[in-house]
Amino acid sequence: MSRIVDVVVVGSGMAGLVAALVAARQGRSVRLLTSGMGSLAISGGSVDFLGYAEGRFAANPWQSLALLPEEHPYRLLGVENVRAAFDFFSQTMEEQHWPMHAATAEDGSPRNTQLPTIMGTLKPTYLLPSGLDAQAMATARRVLVLSVQGLRDCRPALVISQLRRYRSWADKEFAHSLLPSPFGETHRAVTALDLARLADKPQSRQWLLDALAAHAGSCDLVLLPPLCGSKANPEVWRAINAAAGCPVVEMLSIPPGVGGLRLRDALLRALNQHDFELVENTTVLRAETAGKTCTTLVADASGQERRHTAHAFVGATGGILGGGIWLEPGKATESAFGIDIAVPQDVAQWSEPEIFGRHLFSHLGVRVDRAMRPVDAAAAVRWNNVFFAGRSLGGYDFATEKSGHGVAVATGWQAGRMAAAAAAGGENQ
Amino acid sequence: MSVRINPDKCIACTTCVVHCPVAEATPKFLGPRMIGPAYERFRLLGLAEDPSLHYCANCKNCDISCPHGVPVSSLNMMARADQCRAHKPGLRDWVLGHGELMAKWLRLIPASLKNLGMLNPVTRMALDALGIDKRSPLPAFARHSFRQLMRHVHQPDLERRVVFYPGCYVDVYDPRTGLDMVWALNRAGYKVIVPDELVCCGLPMVANGFWQNARSNAEHNLKALAQWRDAGLPVVTGCPSCALMFRVDLPEYFPDIAQKYGACRLADAQEFLLDAVDNGDFSLAADGKASQLPDLRLIYHAPCHLRAQGNGLPGLELLRRLEGVTTENADAGCCGISGSYGFKKEKYDIAQEIGAELFARVRESGAQAAVSECGTCRVQIMHGTGKYALHPVSILRQRLDMR
Repeated sequence: MSRIVDVVVVGSGMAGLVAALVAARQGRSVRLLTSGMGSLAISGGSVDFLGYAEGRFAANPWQSLALLPEEHPYRLLGVENVRAAFDFFSQTMEEQHWPMHAATAEDGSPRNTQLPTIMGTLKPTYLLPSGLDAQAMATARRVLVLSVQGLRDCRPALVISQLRRYRSWADKEFAHSLLPSPFGETHRAVTALDLARLADKPQSRQWLLDALAAHAGSCDLVLLPPLCGSKANPEVWRAINAAAGCPVVEMLSIPPGVGGLRLRDALLRALNQHDFELVENTTVLRAETAGKTCTTLVADASGQERRHTAHAFVGATGGILGGGIWLEPGKATESAFGIDIAVPQDVAQWSEPEIFGRHLFSHLGVRVDRAMRPVDAAAAVRWNNVFFAGRSLGGYDFATEKSGHGVAVATGWQAGRMAAAAAAGGENQ
Repeated sequence: MSVRINPDKCIACTTCVVHCPVAEATPKFLGPRMIGPAYERFRLLGLAEDPSLHYCANCKNCDISCPHGVPVSSLNMMARADQCRAHKPGLRDWVLGHGELMAKWLRLIPASLKNLGMLNPVTRMALDALGIDKRSPLPAFARHSFRQLMRHVHQPDLERRVVFYPGCYVDVYDPRTGLDMVWALNRAGYKVIVPDELVCCGLPMVANGFWQNARSNAEHNLKALAQWRDAGLPVVTGCPSCALMFRVDLPEYFPDIAQKYGACRLADAQEFLLDAVDNGDFSLAADGKASQLPDLRLIYHAPCHLRAQGNGLPGLELLRRLEGVTTENADAGCCGISGSYGFKKEKYDIAQEIGAELFARVRESGAQAAVSECGTCRVQIMHGTGKYALHPVSILRQRLDMR
């Protein structure tokens, strides 16, 4: 690890991968340190942007940005930067042959899509894989909800009874069926991921195509658990839509996250075309700083300390569950740089009695300026070459806003871009 | 069992299930989350073991992918040790777990006869009946072990010294790689010491359920290593699995021994060489005729046990700094062999299924050879692709040394 790189990124979730890619695209050498594999292995394949603002559904998320509090990462970035970040992401996915798009309203403006989940609820999300036809959900009369024998996570009858409660779905004709399991009897309960992996390979994809073809003509729309492949491969979707004879929409599901793996696949493929190095299974212990500059991150590597020296750093270490934020009674700390996060001494004040309320724990995190540099209590920049992105940031609550991947993309883009610029400046000095 | 790992750090996020190559290859395996932390709770209550525990290959992808640092593979290996204490593993597992000991017993028999004895079709049928798949690529014994050959190597008189731990694979089957490593360490300015007292790291014993044997090897090795550490000499190995065993597994499995002898870590030889390059001690400029070699295209496979060490891929970095050599990172996951796992009759097909993506990547790469630090990964790649596979130091020597 003696080689000095331009940018060290910590964390391999959506924010870390986007930050690394932005910096690498600008010709910087990038080393990505990761402990675990990031959240994409357990998340869905669409990109949430902003589903709810002030507790109300945001039909057009761009218009709802102004309703967000000032410290929200989207507000810090400003609309133009958020737009540029989404453009960068969409362009990357296009280049990796996994184009993504937002549905459009009648006037042509982009809108959120209410995507069904395997629980039969609707979740607003924004960027969808191009193979997913959002319009079909509005126009379809006859809807077939399918699952697979042995797939315990998805019960079509439950999905239907729940969906009927929504006005937009109440008048549809529903039918349901269980496809025969391609595995037969198994020791382990089959997951959507097991089935999706069969769809990855042409030789084992046929069972799904045959099973769908048996229902072709009986409906205008098929709702399926996410089993249309675990790689960013559009060929799988084309084959599946063709076999079903009508649009197929994957419902959002619980982990393991099939859709997120497709995004991870596409992003890693893009990164591997650049001067990019992935260091797995390492945890950052502390930062070495000199005045307003961070010089090195010290990380644990199987019981030994390893130094990672770079011109700029991006912290995309995740939130409380991802290990980016440590909690103790009365104290919250960012884990890699040891930044104190201000919290009340009394932990009872960290949450609200109302479960969907505005809990402090769900939006606490690192405070940053517009360039994503962490700031202290007096709003002064701590280091000029350190940038944060994703859930380690404070000021937003991805769970109630439905903004997780979107904030990760937007702040990852900004942090990566700023780190690339700082690294270029650092080299010149 | 004196030590237990608390399973409650696991939040059941399923990341390890996503990244487990065995769970991907077969639904017969319950998967790391269930077999590791989830079943550990049942074990603590004294409830019965799940019958699919033996499918864990100990490849460590669960440990690599876990966001909470749960040592899933260690939970599995300790459970296997418990299971094997109650039901002794068979002869097949003993054979696969004790390659080094077998080689010692057979030392007086010439390699050609040993190989004729072990690898002829009749013996392979007998081994197949024992549970070692007849299709599996059992490596051939070398004529002379690495340590035997080392006695005749004339090294330059260098002041700095380094201890080299060859690992069983290099010692018994692949001494040439060991000699290439000695050449490289000499070039970096170090005289190489290969101690006789170090024995097998014990990983094959753990994986096959011979916990007590692994423990006595660990004690033997840590005691020996402590002497070199106290003498201030670096100890390096070219084998990622041996390094991981010393650095991570032994302190977790046998904390009492680890405490008794203190930290005795094995450094990664490739990283050691890379540091020497950066210090200016190791020149990557070719000698003599080597500078006129034609360009070489390689494809590199990162062993899972190297990825688990948190050190990145120093071997790949070395290769990428060589003039006239282009090295693609296959980045195609586990090769499937996991030491002796892929030799077993009931695991052979799983191992081939796991390795399929890597084999395809290697075949389609157009590379002249594959490169990997791990000996059994190389065996598996050669078996799955028909392409030659070498250790990075062998490439270094081929490209730089032509005297």
